[in-house]
Amino acid sequence: MSGPEHSRFAALHDVELCALAATGERRAFGELVRRHSSAVRGVLRRMGAHAAEADDVAQDAFLAAFERISEFRGEGTFAGWVKKIAARLYLRRLHRDRRLGALTEEEPADEAPRGDADAAIDLEGALKALGNAERLCVTMCFGAGLSHSEAAEALNLPLGTVKSHVKRGLEKLRTRLAPEHGAVPEGRRGNG
Amino acid sequence: MVEHEFERRLERLFAETPELPDAGAFAVRVERRLDAGWTARRWLIGAAGVVGGVIGASQLMLSNVFQRVETAGDSARLLSTSINHISTQTDWMAAISSGGAVVWVAAGMAVVMMGFVLTRVIGEI
Repeated sequence: MSGPEHSRFAALHDVELCALAATGERRAFGELVRRHSSAVRGVLRRMGAHAAEADDVAQDAFLAAFERISEFRGEGTFAGWVKKIAARLYLRRLHRDRRLGALTEEEPADEAPRGDADAAIDLEGALKALGNAERLCVTMCFGAGLSHSEAAEALNLPLGTVKSHVKRGLEKLRTRLAPEHGAVPEGRRGNG
Repeated sequence: MVEHEFERRLERLFAETPELPDAGAFAVRVERRLDAGWTARRWLIGAAGVVGGVIGASQLMLSNVFQRVETAGDSARLLSTSINHISTQTDWMAAISSGGAVVWVAAGMAVVMMGFVLTRVIGEI
C-alpha cells in the first residue's frame, strides 16, 4: 500500500473502514486486517492451533469477513466479529481432519506446577494448565466472544458439557492467575 | 460478584493480545489473496461472456439466419414494389427494402449493448 493511501486509512475508525470495504475498497479492508490480525491469530493460538495453522485459518477468516462485510452491522466490534468467524472455521477444520473428537474428550487436565500466587502469571501460561476441552471452551467464550450455546453448537457438544468445561477451566485459571495489579491499559484506537 | 469480576478480568486479558511482529506482512498476504480473487473473478466473467457470445453466434449460424434474412429482404422488396404500385413511393419504404442491413445494424447495436452490460456487471461485483 502506498504511503499517503495508508495514512488516509490509518486515520479512519473501524466502522468507517468497514463501510469503505463494503463498497469493495480492498485497501481499507487491508487496514482492518493490519489492526486486528494479531488478536484473531492470538485467539486461534490460544484455542490450540499451531502458529502456521492459526495464520491459515485467520487468513480464511478475514477473506470470509470481506465477502460478508455487508452483513456486519457494527453492533459489536469488528475484531470480535472476525474472531467468531475464525473460531468457527478452526473448529470446522478440526472436525474435517477428525481431530475435534480427541480434543473434546474428557481428559485428565495437566496439573502444571502452580505458580507463586503473588506473581503475575501470563494468560498463556495459565491456559496450559487447562485440559484441551477446557481451554477450547474457555477461549471460545472469553476470547472469541461466543455464548455457551454458540460454543456448544460449534463444538457439537451438549450445552451442559460446555458449561462444565468452562466452569472447571475458570476455577483452574482463578487459582493460577495472580491478583490483578494496577489498571489495565486502554486498548488501541479502533474497537478491537 | 467476585466471579463476574474475574470473568471481566479474563475477557480483558484475552483482549490484550500483543501485536505480532509480522502483522504487516500478514496483512499484505491477505490483500494479495483478495486481489487474486478479484482478478480471477474478472477473468471468469470475461470468459463466461466470450463463451456466451460464441454459443450465441453459433446458434445464429446453425439456424440459417442469413437465409432467413435474405428471404425477409426479398419479401420486403416485394411488399415495397406492390405498395409502390398502389401509392406514391415514400422514403421509409426504401429503408425497409434493404431489410438485411437493418438486421445487421440491430445485431451490431445488440453487441454494443451486451458489452456495456457486461462492463457494468464487472464494475458492480
